[in-house]
Amino acid sequence: MTQHVTEKDVRDISESVRIGLADGELQQMTADLNTIIESLKPITGYDLEGVEPTFHPIGDLSNVMREDVCKEGFTQHEALENAPKQQAGSFEVPSILGGGDQ
Amino acid sequence: MEFACMSVAAIQAGLRAHEFTAREVAESSIARIAAINGSLNAFLETTPELALAKADEIDAAIASGSFADCGPLAGVPVAFKDNMNQKGTHTTCSSRMLQNYVAPYTATCVQRMIDAGGLPMGKLNMDEFAFGSSTETSAFGPTKNPWDTSRVPGGSSGGSAAAVASGMVTVSLGSDTGGSIRQPGSFCGVVAVKPTYGVVSRYGVVAFGSSLDQVGPFARNVRDAALALNALAGRDPLDCTSQECAVDFAASLDKGVEGMRIGIVPSFMEAEGLEPEVKAAIEDAAQRLVSLGVELVEVDLPNARAAMSAYYVLGPCEAFSNLARFDGIRYGYCDPGHANLESQYEASRAHGFGAEAKRRIMLGSYLLSAGVYDTYYYPAQQIRTLITQDYAQAYEKVDCILAPVSPRTAFEFGEISDPTSMYLSDMFTISINIAGNGGMSVPIGLGADTGLPIGAQLIAPAFKDADMFRAAAALESCYEAVSVAPAFADDAASSADAAARATLDRKDGAR
Repeated sequence: MTQHVTEKDVRDISESVRIGLADGELQQMTADLNTIIESLKPITGYDLEGVEPTFHPIGDLSNVMREDVCKEGFTQHEALENAPKQQAGSFEVPSILGGGDQ
Repeated sequence: MEFACMSVAAIQAGLRAHEFTAREVAESSIARIAAINGSLNAFLETTPELALAKADEIDAAIASGSFADCGPLAGVPVAFKDNMNQKGTHTTCSSRMLQNYVAPYTATCVQRMIDAGGLPMGKLNMDEFAFGSSTETSAFGPTKNPWDTSRVPGGSSGGSAAAVASGMVTVSLGSDTGGSIRQPGSFCGVVAVKPTYGVVSRYGVVAFGSSLDQVGPFARNVRDAALALNALAGRDPLDCTSQECAVDFAASLDKGVEGMRIGIVPSFMEAEGLEPEVKAAIEDAAQRLVSLGVELVEVDLPNARAAMSAYYVLGPCEAFSNLARFDGIRYGYCDPGHANLESQYEASRAHGFGAEAKRRIMLGSYLLSAGVYDTYYYPAQQIRTLITQDYAQAYEKVDCILAPVSPRTAFEFGEISDPTSMYLSDMFTISINIAGNGGMSVPIGLGADTGLPIGAQLIAPAFKDADMFRAAAALESCYEAVSVAPAFADDAASSADAAARATLDRKDGAR
């Protein structure tokens, strides 16, 4: 079977999608992704010259507009209700730059 | 009396004749769920107080003579897949990521069922984020098939199918991205409808594949499903893909099928992996339709064989994008103890998502990456054009298409362990999502070899869902009426009690 992605590729993908993978998971994920990508091969075997893509089942749908009127939205309290951490009416986020080890 | 085992019409006739009250219907469904859910794990959360409040509203309307204004589902126990927001209830998508998430608003489909008079009984188990065909990927344990609890109910809307098949509710809602309503409908022997893309609003339903997802009903007969879709269908300003839909899906059910042209796809019937008992059942269903005056016409869908790979490109790409929102900051699982944002993201998503969700997110990211996009994603969208054209050409010759739903009947837990084999469960359903057409599963009896339910799939052109219902009603009339799965039929319900309590105890620990 063709190797479509290496363990290093999978490590890079996991970093870009922000899903930490333990070393033990990396090997299995690499094997799984290679099997799945291999199964997608039929898609590369079609003569698609000149075929327009369909990005959406409702092809002729263009921008859908509504009247520009104010509507009730969430209150600040409602918006924060599900936040795992909050502080002074805001979402609490750890340091973005650095932050050290913990 | 087990009211939730009755049809919509029977419940409403009883309410109208003052034979029983809506409160009694709600109480009966609440008791039945408490008695048997433990053995099936279909409900993740029940909402008895909401159901009773709605029931009291209906009873007040009956007392004041305004029952007719209560809606087409007045007094009917209903329940919702757990990817549908209902204010004040958990909406977990069967994921640890959303284990503690409480919906701050209500999805349009849920609201419409309640506005139509439905008694909201609770939220139903599913494959995590709808990634699966067996409900085995739920973080809260699998749902069991009411026909044989050693087998899967199908998925991803397995809880929705099992809740209706076991008579815990009369109607439930599921969502279908590649077969997630129709395949569990087939496995559990109930009517299961994926309407045309655009018929039902997805506002408030957690998105998986936005160009593929559609919401639809489960019921034990075609008429109940049509009544539910009547309540659900139509434009919603909150989902710009939803369309005006002034169709009464129940109106054409008695018209019969004399002169209707129904297509058979030879490449589906000869497909590798289609079990002989399923093939025989579909052929038999076709002959029964012929005896009712249907003309069978062979139609070709030459590009449908590419649908599987196109779907497993498009689905993960859209899922990757949709699941980027789960950051563990605004809502969702947040891994404790991180001083740095990046490490908090990575740990929260690593621990919040299950294995299949991680695979699909990573696959989607890979397929959309520079250089790879042109090899898979763009061709998949071109193939979507070809598949849509195939269906359009077929519909020049036929009104509907008859096909299998699933290549086989319900499999055992753990029987299919590798992801690519599991994906084959949806080989006959996926192309319908790709083209955006309507499709539904109708029970056509039990398999000759396995003795388990088989569903026939009826597929209709976009926005011609009423034709599919008309053919489905005719097909249904050829078979014995579907009732609750035998082990959960009225007299058997109490014997399930003991087993139920034992499993309930285990489940309480899970959440």
